[in-house]
Order: sequence, then C-alpha cells, then structure tokens
Amino acid sequence: MKFSYNWLKEYVEGLDAPPEKLERLITMKTAECEGTPEIRLPAHVLEVEPIPGSRYVKARVRAMVYGDRTVVCGAPNCRVGIQALYSPIGKKVIHGVESDGMLLSGPEAGLNDDDTVIYECRPGDPEVFDAIFDIDNKSLTHRPDLWGHFGMAREISAITGKKLIDPVKPSLIPSESSPVRVEIEDFDLCPRYSALVFDNVTVRPSPLWLQYRLTSIGLNPINNIVDLTNFLMAELAQPMHAFDHDKLRGATIFARPARPGERITALNDTAYDLSPSNLVIADAGGPIAIAGVIGGAGSAISATTTSLVLESANFQASSVRKTSSALKLRTDASMRFEKAQDPVNTTRALARAVELLRELSPGIRLAGGLADAFRPLRPVPPVTLNLDWLALKLGRSLQAAEVRAILEALEFGVEEAGPVMFSVSIPSWRATKDISMAEDLVEEVGRMIGYDSIPPKPPLIAATVPPEDPRRVFLRQIKTAVALQGFTEVSNYSFIGEEQAQFFGMRPEDHVRVLNPIAADQSLMRKSLIPGIFANLEENSKHFASFRLFEVGNEIHKRGGELPAQISHLAAAVFNREGDGTAGLFELKRLAEILTPGVDVQATDALPYEHPARAWRISWQGEIVGRLFELHPATAKGRIEGRAAILDLDLDRVLALRPVQAKYQPVRRFPSSAFDLSVITPLREPSGAIEKQLRSAAGPLLEGIEYQRQYTGAPLAEGTRSISFRLTVGAADHTLSSDEVTGIRNSIIETMQRAGYELRV
Amino acid sequence: MENPLLELERSALDRIAAAATSDDLEAIRVETLGRKGALNQVSSGLGRMLPEERAATGKLLNGVKQNLERAIEARRGEFESAALRAQLDSEWLDLTLPAPGTRAGSLHPVTQLQREIEDLFHSLGFAVLDGPEVETEYNNFDALNIPPDHPARDMQDTFWVEGGHLLRTHTSAVQVRGMGRLKPPMRMIAPGRVFRNESVDASHEHTFYQLEGMMIDREVSVAHLTYFMKTLLTAIFRRDVTVRLRPGFFPFVEPGFELDILCLICGGSGCPVCKQSGWVELLPCGLVNPHVLRMGGIDPTEWNGFAFGLGLTRLAMMRYGIDDIRWLQSGDLRFLNQFGGAAL
Repeated sequence: MKFSYNWLKEYVEGLDAPPEKLERLITMKTAECEGTPEIRLPAHVLEVEPIPGSRYVKARVRAMVYGDRTVVCGAPNCRVGIQALYSPIGKKVIHGVESDGMLLSGPEAGLNDDDTVIYECRPGDPEVFDAIFDIDNKSLTHRPDLWGHFGMAREISAITGKKLIDPVKPSLIPSESSPVRVEIEDFDLCPRYSALVFDNVTVRPSPLWLQYRLTSIGLNPINNIVDLTNFLMAELAQPMHAFDHDKLRGATIFARPARPGERITALNDTAYDLSPSNLVIADAGGPIAIAGVIGGAGSAISATTTSLVLESANFQASSVRKTSSALKLRTDASMRFEKAQDPVNTTRALARAVELLRELSPGIRLAGGLADAFRPLRPVPPVTLNLDWLALKLGRSLQAAEVRAILEALEFGVEEAGPVMFSVSIPSWRATKDISMAEDLVEEVGRMIGYDSIPPKPPLIAATVPPEDPRRVFLRQIKTAVALQGFTEVSNYSFIGEEQAQFFGMRPEDHVRVLNPIAADQSLMRKSLIPGIFANLEENSKHFASFRLFEVGNEIHKRGGELPAQISHLAAAVFNREGDGTAGLFELKRLAEILTPGVDVQATDALPYEHPARAWRISWQGEIVGRLFELHPATAKGRIEGRAAILDLDLDRVLALRPVQAKYQPVRRFPSSAFDLSVITPLREPSGAIEKQLRSAAGPLLEGIEYQRQYTGAPLAEGTRSISFRLTVGAADHTLSSDEVTGIRNSIIETMQRAGYELRV
Repeated sequence: MENPLLELERSALDRIAAAATSDDLEAIRVETLGRKGALNQVSSGLGRMLPEERAATGKLLNGVKQNLERAIEARRGEFESAALRAQLDSEWLDLTLPAPGTRAGSLHPVTQLQREIEDLFHSLGFAVLDGPEVETEYNNFDALNIPPDHPARDMQDTFWVEGGHLLRTHTSAVQVRGMGRLKPPMRMIAPGRVFRNESVDASHEHTFYQLEGMMIDREVSVAHLTYFMKTLLTAIFRRDVTVRLRPGFFPFVEPGFELDILCLICGGSGCPVCKQSGWVELLPCGLVNPHVLRMGGIDPTEWNGFAFGLGLTRLAMMRYGIDDIRWLQSGDLRFLNQFGGAAL
C-alpha cells in the first residue's frame, strides 16, 4: 500500500518530520516501510520555445525520476531556469505539439489557490516535495484502518503528538428518506449496507489535484465518479461502488447469496458463474455486483450517466475472501474487506462523498437521504488492563499517565477501574478483529514507548537437562559417519514428477500428490530418495571422474486419511567413470557394515533400474533394512557414463533394531588354535553362505571365522572356485589339545562333505 | 725373529681391517679361529711343548684369540650398521605424494549451521524437536491462530496435498506438537525443512530450512526475549550483535515483532547489504498469543512464553556469502565439496 506524504499531511496539523524521519518512525512503531520513501522532486525547466500562433510554449524539462520530458504549457511564468512541478498525467496534443505530461499550478498540486500560473518552487520549499511510502501489505494484515491515508495519519498523530484533522463532516448527510430501499438477507455476511442517490450528475475527468493524488499512489484516473470512489478508498479505507441509477431494475437493492446458476459480467469484462457461497448485490433483475469484490458491467457508470447510487457497505471478511479466492479475482476492495472493515465507516465515507462530489460534479443534487440497512452493532466490551501485568509483559516499569496518554492518542477510551487497573474501550476501527484482549494492548503501549526503551534482561529459569530425542541423535551420528567415509551430503527436493516416478518403475498414483504444484515435474511427494540421487549422479558425472555423495531425507508414503508416513532414509552413491563397478559396490557394503555391524547381504531380484546380477537385500538383526545395487546400464545409458552403485537404508528400521550394548564377555585366558579350510563350490555360490555352514558345522567352540582368499583355475574344474577360511577354536576353561582341534576340524570336514562340498585339505 | 703367533695376529688384524664384506670377514674368521683354523693348529701343537713353553704359548694364544674375536666382532658391527644405514636410506619416502584411500566427505552447509545452533540451544536447556514435513492444516494454521479465510494465510503461499493436508509452511507448526509433548515450563527448538509455493530464483526457494524456538515459563517478557535473542545471535555470529525490535504481525504472537540486527557489514552506516538502512531484518518473534497457549493445552493466565523463527537457509547464506539460494538444493559437488573439513 502506497502513501503520499503530502496527502498524509492534510490530516496531521503542522506535521514537520521530514519523510525519511517519518519513514523510520512508522517502521519502528506501526508497520514496515519497504525501502526508503520515493522522493518526488521539482522539475527544472531547461529550454522554452514559443509555439507560433498561440500563447503556449514548448518546454523541455528535466523531471527527475521521469527523465527529460517535453511539455506544452500555457502559463505566463513558464521560463528557463525555474523549478516547477511535473506530472506525467494529462498527455495530449496542444497546437500540434505533443505534451508528454504537464507542469502543475498551485491548486492542481494542492498547494495554493492561484491557477493563473504554474507553481514555482522556491529553494528548499518543503511544500512541493512529495514522498511516497510503500508499506508492506503483510504488515497491515491486522489493521483494516491503515488501508487509508486517514488511518495512517492517526498513527502519525499519535507518534508525533500533532493534532489529527478529520476530513469527514457527518452533518452533510440529510435526514430524509431515500429513493432506494436496501434489503439484507444475512446480516452475518453483510453487517451494513449504506447508499446515497445523486441526480444531475456529470461524468467528466477529475480535477487535476485529484488525478495527482491518485497517480501519486499508483492509481489510474478514469472519471470523476470512479476517481471519487478510489479516492475515498485510499483516504478512509472504505471501498465504494457507484451504480448508474437508471440502469437498476426496481427500487430495492438486495444483499444476498447468489442463486444457483446466476452469472455476472463484471467491470473487467469477464463473466463469472456464481454459487450460493458468493454474496452478491442484486436488483430486481439479478446480480449487479459481487459483494466486496467487483461491480457488474451492466450497471456501470458511463459518459451518459446522470443519476447514480453510491454504495458504501460492509461485508464479512471471510466471505469476501472466500469469494475472491474462488473466483481468482483480487481487487483493491476485496483486499480491504478481507481485513474486516469497520461498519461505522460506511456513512462517514458517504458524508465525505457528498462534500467532494459538489466540487467534482458541479450541479449535482442529492436525491433524498440515506438508505441504510444494518444490524445494530454489538457493543464492544471494554478490555481490562492491569498495569502491573503490563509492566511484567513488557519487562519495564511504566507510569499510569504514560499508558493513558498513549492509549488516548490512539483514540482508545481509558477509565480507571482500580488502583493499577484501566478499563479500555476500543475504537470501532480497531474492534473488528484487531483488538479484543489485554495482550493486544501490550502491543499498543509497547510500540509507542518504543521497544528499544526496554533493556534486555536475563530470565530466571530452572536449570534442567533437556530431553533428548534418540532419533535426532541417531540421524546426526549417521550423517557424520557417512561423511567421514568420504561421502558429501546433498539435499534434494521432496518433489518428483510423474515421468520421473515412472522412469523408476513407481506408479504415480502410489504417491502423495501435490494439488497445486509449482511445475508439472514436481507434482508428487517422493517415496524414494533414488530419483534425486540419480539426478545428482547424472549432473556430477559431467564434472567428476569419481565421487561419493549421500542424502539423509524423508520418504513420504500414503496412509489413508491420516498424515502420510514419513520415513528417514539414507541414500549413498559411489560413481566411477572407469572400472568394472565392483570397487563402488564393496565400498558401499563396507559403509553398510560400519553403520550396521554384522549386516547380511543377500542377492535378490533386481528392480527395473537395478543391474540384474548386482542387486542385494540388506538385512540386519534378521530384518530387511535396505538395498544395495548397481544402476542398470540401460537406466544410466546416455545420462551417466560410468558405473554407479547405490545403497538405500531405512534409518527408522535401523534405529528400531539397534541392539542395546551387551555386557562384556571375559577375555579368554586359554590360548586358542587356528586352522585353514578351503571349500570348493560352484562359481556363483556366495561365500557368505559357505561361511554360515562352516559356522554351524564348527559348533560351540568356534571363536571366529575369517575369509582368507579365493581361487579359480587349474587344477579346479571349470565353473568352480575354492574359498579359504581361517577358523579359530578355543575353550573358556582349558587349552584345546591337538586331538580336540583335529576332532573339530574333521567333524567340520565331514559335515561339509555330507552337504556335498569337496574340501581341499 | 718375531713369534709366529704374533705375526699371525698382525696379519689377521690387517686382513680384518681390510675386509670388504661380511663374507670376507667370515672367511678370515674360519681361517684363523675356525675348527681347522691357524690358531687351532697352534693349540693342537701345545701338547708337544715343554711345560713352560706350553704355558707361555697358551697364554699368548688366548690373548691373540681374544684380540681377533674382538676385532672380528667390531668389524662385523661396522658392517651391520652400514647395512642398516643403507637399508634405512633406501627407504626414503616422498610423503608429498597424495595419501591413498578416500578423503572425508562433508556435511551440507545448512546441516553444519543447524548443528551449531542446535548445540547452542541445547546448552541453554532447549529440547530439540521434530515435526513432519507433511502437516495438518490444524497444526500449521488453525492452532497458530490463523483460521481458514484469514488473510494471514496469504503471507505463506501453501502447497496442499491430497487428503486435506499441506506441506508445512513454517516450523511454527511444531509449536502445538511441542506444547503437547513437553509440559511447561518448557524450552524447545524445532529445526527443519519447510515449503512455500513460490517460483525459484536467486533469492527465492520453495524448499528451505527454518528453526522455530519457544520458551514457556511463569514470567516471560519482551525484555527476556530481547536478552535471549541478543545472546544467541552474538554466539551465532561470534561477535557482539545489536538487536532492535519493531512491530510485526504474526497471528501466533501478541505482541509480534520483526527483529533487526545492526548491519554486520557496515556497522549501521549504510551499505548495499542493509539497503542503506543500517539494519538487517533477521527474524520474526513475539510473545506467544494466549489463544495458541490454549490450543497447546496451557493456561495463559498462569504461563507466558516467547517464540521466534530463525531462517537457517538465510543464515547459512549470510555466513558463507552464498549469493544464489539455488546452490543449496543443487546437489552440485563443485559447490558442496567446499564445505568439507569443518564440523563433522
């Protein structure tokens, strides 16, 4: 929302704070100004050239932010060297010369009454400068009153202690009956609807001062009637709408929910299908406006309008917001209404309109008095403010008089209700949503005394050891361990696309779907980290011959109506442009062994993107906790030139399976004995399986078993290999005799032979 | 004429001194001291000698034997130490060659910063909590005093997912979960990933990281909040930080603030980083709105609290001078590998 410094000055008597200072004050005490105020400076007249056959001159001016412009000027005092006020409005051709904007007279700029000359700035003339403040709309979300200059002026008056000037003269509304009747169907949706009817209207361009005001805050002047409604909206924060009275059907205006199937073509030339959740303004013939959002084209003001109905109404904030978002139509009016406007304001704006229309449309006449339907306002209960509590909340002592002065400057009513107790009544423009409890008054007082007046103070708190979340600690350890093994942490998006899902053999419908994705390729919540890791492999393989990376992130899994399941996974990858890929796979196996000691690796059926002979299930403590695989060459083809191995671990399972540290076993006092055995197996029989069989064959005296080496070739038969293990045996209570050791060894050999293995002894 | 034993001794000592290898030395030892060596031959002749001659010769013989043994031993020592020297010298190593094996990897810069801040808060008695990335509308909005159709919902463009749920737009969604889990007095932080439906450019991301903080106790004031923020930010930036509060609207706090810090680049005199204002907007905070306490099952007449939201992604960018937010989710190792070494 833009505010003009000169405009604000109209309502604050003797405001002398320069714009930069005012900007800081507003930012520190009210709402955030975005950037420094945009200063409007005077224009220098550089060259003047008479236009033959006229009293006009063609002038070249240096107009600061607008750059150099050529304007046509009829004022006798337009001459080289003066500083004048330039406005980009009023572009036209005068005496065959194109005028790119205009130089303003005193009344056009709202500075004096002399319209015979253009305004000449004196050096340092503070009157002529305007400064535009851009206040962050988000910081005005809770302040319906600050969506107009007068509301902001009230803040400035409270901040600076200067007197506030109210431009509204309520007595201008005559107490006669109105030619129109208003009927409100649901007072919750429309707490108030006020209107005035004017006859003998002339639709024509607005006077320049008004155009100047509107353009200064970024609104386009259209005609005197539309400009009036925009001006009042920017002045009093009351959105208004003007209907062409002659185009209305019947003398009753209805505020009611739209009937099913109703349609309206709005001022923006767009047709909207309405539903009963949309509140409309209607006449006997149907909707004439979408309440609080936009007027209808059918009843709009045109050049031929001579009689108008000026609407100044109040609508329920959430209803306007719902309608505006359902129709995807946000307007200056809907933006204000959704902040919960003050129902008291409707007639104030009409009174102001009466005054302004006399100037904007000379000869205009009020037809009757006010049409005004409303539900009597519920009195707003006063808020009790305990001053000791207030001091406790702010952390600073306060004088009762200081608090009272602040609240009264903001037009709160303050009554003493006890020794340290105020009863505070809330002005109507703050009572709609903004202020309803004592905490809200803490903010009013706090911001006005200035938060920088509250010295920081250490709190008195109990010394406690905070509870620790084992899951968080675990994930942290995992990340550290993986990074220490040479892997670099990446962070991938939680989104994937349908094509991406299908590429990895996952059905899009199995994913949690984003209803309003930022792009089509980010419409699903990932239920696997692999697509992200694949993209990392593809990208980095262009720059590196080998690398390792990992991500710890959440898989999101559908789960009925509940919140989706969120499962922490580790995905780690090793890429090598050269080589046969085994190094990367063993590296990841080693990583799995570090993270889950004693892990079991078993070959398994490969998923579509996994190398068919290089896919394994990872089990730990008897449960499957992940997969290890090489990327299928067909999947990688054309995108990843090299070998990529990937480990995917379900960290939540791993955490759940983590064994408690067992009690220590006494170190054996008697020496153990070792012997080697070589087992001849079919080539593809996993050594892990042989090791398991040896282990069970060895019996309880086995202390350890360790792989030594493997061998293929003569004299072994084709398709076989020999795998050698070193077995260590021992007893807790004595040294095994050589007979005992031989006995164990022979028994293992026999068991293995019975199982069909040949042993090289 | 010289005693032949002495002559033998002198000639053997000369040969020992001249021996070039330990094999030469061994040959000399065998020739002189060996079983069939010269000295043994003398010694075997002793029996044929007269008693006094035998005594004198025997004595001489022993002396010569000892001298030769000592000389051979000494010479052997020389050979051994020379051999050791040669061996050691041959083991010269160029340790400027790269070490084999893999280098340690690195943690993501946001992870590193998050850990640092978690540790800081933990040391001050704050529990570190987690919340889900896919959240309920209730936890993300309603419980934070942002009912449906409240314009404050515009402040955060929301991703909605099927089932009426959403991707949390802020870690504030953990506030109500935290109040349910920990009873007052309580202190908690909740770091994590959040989502906003915004187009991505150099300074905007739809996915980024925040850290929510909350303290609830009997007496909690604006003065306490300022103290905490100043203390923490001083620790985070590792230098004294000047903070200021100004009004800011967030429905879950009342009063609500924007906290600014005096620009660390220019010290407040104005520069491009602070857009010439001298101050940098850093985090929203405030006293917990009594409605929110009530939603968390906490009686606001007994308890007070403050809450704040730290932009972890933004802090990481400030700390490392990252000028394009897209690097953080890029997965590009040319960027990420720069954050190795520190903080594992």
